[in-house]
Amino acid sequence: MNFNNCGDILTIQFGHYANCVGTHWWNIQEKSFNYSKNEVQDINHDVLYREGVNEKGQVTFTPRLLLVDLKGSLGALPENSQLYGDVIEPSEAQVEWEPARVDIKEENKLQKNKFQQDLEDEGNSQSVAEYNLENDVKVWSDFLYARFHPRTLNIIKEYQHGNDSLFSIYPMGGDLWKSEQFNEDFVDKIRNYVEESDFLQGFQVLLDSTDGFSGLSTSCIEHLRDEYGKNIIAFPMIPSFYPDYKFQTEEERHQSLIKDSSRVLNLAFCFNNLRENSSLFVPLCTGKNGWRQPGEKRKFYHCEYDPELYYHSGAILASALDTLTLKYRLKHTSYTLRDLSVDLTPQSRIAAAASLCLPFSLNSDAELIDCLDHWEGPLTQTITPNCTLGTDRMIQLYTLRGISEDRLKRPSSKAGTQKDLPAYKCETIREMLEFYLSCTTFTSINNVTVVDSRLNVETPFPKIFDKFVGQKGNIFASPRQPYADVDSVPVMAGLHNGSGVGEMLESLHTQAKRIKFARFHQFKNAGVEMDDYSECLDNLFDFRECYEDNYFI
Amino acid sequence: MAISLLNPKAEVARAAQALAVNISAAKGIQDVMKSNLGPKGTVKMLVSGAGDIKITKDGNVLLHEMQIQHPTASLIARASTAQDDMTGDGTTSTVLVIGELLKQADNYISEGLHPRVLAEGFDKAREKTLEILEKVKIPVEVNRESLLDVCRTSLRTKVHQNVADLLAEVCVDSVLQIKKDDKPVDLHMVEIMEMQHKTETNTKLVKGLVLDHGSRHPDMPKSLKNCYILTCNVSMEYEKSEVNSGFFYKTSEEREKMVLAEREFIEQRVKKVVELKKKLCNGTDKSFVVINQKGIDPMSLDLLAKEGIIALRRAKRRNMERLALACGGIALNSFEDIQESHLGYAGHVYEHVLGENKYTFVEDCKNPSSVTILIKGPNKHTLVQIKDAIRDGLRAINNTISDGAVVPGAGAFEITANKELNVFKDTVKGKARLGIAAYAEALLVIPKVLATNSGFDAQDSIVKLQEECRLNPEPVGIDLTSGEPINPKDAGIFDNYIVKKQIINSCSVIASNLILVDEIMRAGMSSLKG
Ligand SMILES: Nc1ncnc2c1ncn2[C@@H]1O[C@H](COP(=O)(O)OP(=O)(O)O)[C@@H](O)[C@H]1O
Ligand SMILES: [Mg+2]
Repeated sequence: MNFNNCGDILTIQFGHYANCVGTHWWNIQEKSFNYSKNEVQDINHDVLYREGVNEKGQVTFTPRLLLVDLKGSLGALPENSQLYGDVIEPSEAQVEWEPARVDIKEENKLQKNKFQQDLEDEGNSQSVAEYNLENDVKVWSDFLYARFHPRTLNIIKEYQHGNDSLFSIYPMGGDLWKSEQFNEDFVDKIRNYVEESDFLQGFQVLLDSTDGFSGLSTSCIEHLRDEYGKNIIAFPMIPSFYPDYKFQTEEERHQSLIKDSSRVLNLAFCFNNLRENSSLFVPLCTGKNGWRQPGEKRKFYHCEYDPELYYHSGAILASALDTLTLKYRLKHTSYTLRDLSVDLTPQSRIAAAASLCLPFSLNSDAELIDCLDHWEGPLTQTITPNCTLGTDRMIQLYTLRGISEDRLKRPSSKAGTQKDLPAYKCETIREMLEFYLSCTTFTSINNVTVVDSRLNVETPFPKIFDKFVGQKGNIFASPRQPYADVDSVPVMAGLHNGSGVGEMLESLHTQAKRIKFARFHQFKNAGVEMDDYSECLDNLFDFRECYEDNYFI
Repeated sequence: MAISLLNPKAEVARAAQALAVNISAAKGIQDVMKSNLGPKGTVKMLVSGAGDIKITKDGNVLLHEMQIQHPTASLIARASTAQDDMTGDGTTSTVLVIGELLKQADNYISEGLHPRVLAEGFDKAREKTLEILEKVKIPVEVNRESLLDVCRTSLRTKVHQNVADLLAEVCVDSVLQIKKDDKPVDLHMVEIMEMQHKTETNTKLVKGLVLDHGSRHPDMPKSLKNCYILTCNVSMEYEKSEVNSGFFYKTSEEREKMVLAEREFIEQRVKKVVELKKKLCNGTDKSFVVINQKGIDPMSLDLLAKEGIIALRRAKRRNMERLALACGGIALNSFEDIQESHLGYAGHVYEHVLGENKYTFVEDCKNPSSVTILIKGPNKHTLVQIKDAIRDGLRAINNTISDGAVVPGAGAFEITANKELNVFKDTVKGKARLGIAAYAEALLVIPKVLATNSGFDAQDSIVKLQEECRLNPEPVGIDLTSGEPINPKDAGIFDNYIVKKQIINSCSVIASNLILVDEIMRAGMSSLKG
């Protein structure tokens, strides 16, 4: 028995945006299950998935996942898993009561969108159909392709999902966590998953960090740490857009500004807690600023997305997550989530940044060596808000997927000018990238992982690539055929620690400090005192100091 | 289910209008809830737009399933939640009485009575009603019969009579099993375990524990008799230590060495358990079971399995406490000086597999002070319905024990209170007496609705009950099969004292708030935030 190999991970998602990202992530993975058998499979899906048996005795393979969202957030998706147990037609006979005195109250049946309908009657081949998911998607379940285990869905009855959801501040989440009704069930489900597992690597937590879920998720993380030790990677997320920005009246504009402030407060409390209780946390946002407002969107070459759609921006972050986490879910390594969090967080630098290059654009007729030779600027674009990645004293873990070794360079007989490049001596993609990084960074530690599998971007992944991206993600000089959708792309993603992360924390500190906390009665009513706020600020300030450059790695 | 009759912008309405809005809101909610009351009430099966099913007859649950936007409604909802939190019962009655108080108030206020005066009367009536309750309550001894009566009354308003009677026995027996002296029990020590089972619907008391997991090693025994039980919170799982993680700083040989040392450490722990087992069990008919709150990895499981030990990992935190109470022994945090006296005992430990779920029964315990109620049912919503009922049944028993008294049900208390309040009213000077009259009248909503729900005419029934009450010093309630007066004591219909008390207290306060419109506006708004 080899304990270093593989090991399971439990993923937990808190909040609607995190669930949008998560939905894309599970979709991406399950779409790649369909690959034909002779295709190389270097990803170990057992890390994030579990095998089970349903009531009919059929074998199931479902995400090892718990997710939490508010009442009304599921759309037409039933809370009870249809993978386990039949769809039950309501009838008086199911009630332990005199049938004549049973009153059945049925709400109007919610219509599933075309994509979901087609999934339901599986006979319909889905590839031909045209969907308008940009319009049809209202909630994440509208584009959910994966199927869940009955444990997975957890709906909070106390708060309604929607624009003016009242589940808006950090302390509400903490209170909810403590309530017996939520806590007992949820804690039990975590334990059920952990119990099943022979060796648990740890936990991945995707969380909304600007509303009440910031408090709920961090309370949960505290619990995980107390109960199961400290291998917890958290991805606090900031949505790419808030519906309250579509204000029409002066009053609405004012309300939106107030919300911006309380979102900053939520973030500050959330990060402060993550600093203490997670093993590593990586803030994610497709906007540049993140704190008060998501801000201008981050741009990627050959990729055009609409930040007002969570369906779009969620796909960007999911692509990053699927790629970044490959490090601890590959078949042939024993590298775990714990290793990653240890490597990336020297000197208590628990916070780190992430970056992405989607797609990793390699021209169809080019080799990696030329591509790198002509590359301008950093290889990847940061997706952590308010964070500029430097080139000095960095710890960086990169993952490049979907570029096969035969695209490295031309054989020496046909190499031409490639031969003149010092990189020509590199024999593998990994070697060449490490060489490239060593030339472009200073006193840094760089590590590269290379994975064969491309990122699957078939429907329901949004059509966000421009017409120069080919079916397999290569970049062409002329547009692809209109009928040929992109089905997969190469991607590069990175995790980084360095002084830029300290600056990110400082900018949050500055924003949070500017807020007149005493005016935010909601926090006070929920039991958060001025002192708590000051302490949180002080902690963030001290935390930022771990990143100062005079600490030598 | 949305209640649409409510105007969400009530705060701008002028006082008179606002009062009208409050009254109509309370009436609206009352109308929805009315049909639920009593053993002949209707059960609601709520089917969501996505097809999810929720079965309930509980006023509080229903209120929360409805989308409540209006402050009035949310205030009433809070009262019913408070009622539920404190007593576990009486939520429908709470809503009905509040609604009725407002209806009565409406009549008087429209005739020009000032709401303040009315509220004053409500408060006087409340105090008097509490006195009446003290007179009417019936002291009880804590024994199986008396507990069964209350529990059965409550459960028959929640599930079929035959199921209710079975559940009542299960609930009472579980409490009696773990009760010490005549004190209420810690209900956490009654575990409720659900099993979804296609063909079986059944509930039974297990005088021991049922855990929702089983052993994770193919060679472990599936059943053992005469078992030592070791309960512990000690990791038997190899974990990479901090210094041994990551790849930047260590050579692979260094790492190998550390892994071995760390593994060795865990193995020593497991061997301690194995040694104790050998010492105590080998050569006897005894066997050994380990139940650990922490993890046990496959290598450790292997060592234990070789010795014929059943080992369970990741037991629920609360089960550590339950196990100690059910089997004896103490939960260990280390195996340093582990010995026989630390261990508990169970006559039989065995595994039950259902689909992908495993269950472990720890049974035949000697005089357990923690037990399990096991529910089997064909689907989630039925299981939930039964589980809710059991929770309420257990609360009813605990209430009875702590009250040392019960109240005659079937409307008897309300009829008596109505009679006495009307006498009391005449001793009060000024217009506040009108508030008392309104209050007395409002209480009758309970027997009235009980009658209506059984198909009898409310007025006819009330007249009969009041006549009988005047002549008869014994409590007079309504027989729901005949519509005639009965003595609830003879029929074994009893309600919890604390439930009635809480209803009396909260209803007059909430109703007063609602008629004093200015206050409600503020209260309502802040309740929205919470
Ligand atoms: N067998 C019975 N005959 C007449 N009344 C009964 C009987 N059982 C219970 N009741 C009455 O029903 C009322 C409780 O009904 P229930 O549906 O449980 O509502 P609540 O939510 O207010 O507890 C009490 O007033 C109780 O006295
Ligand atoms: Mg009741």
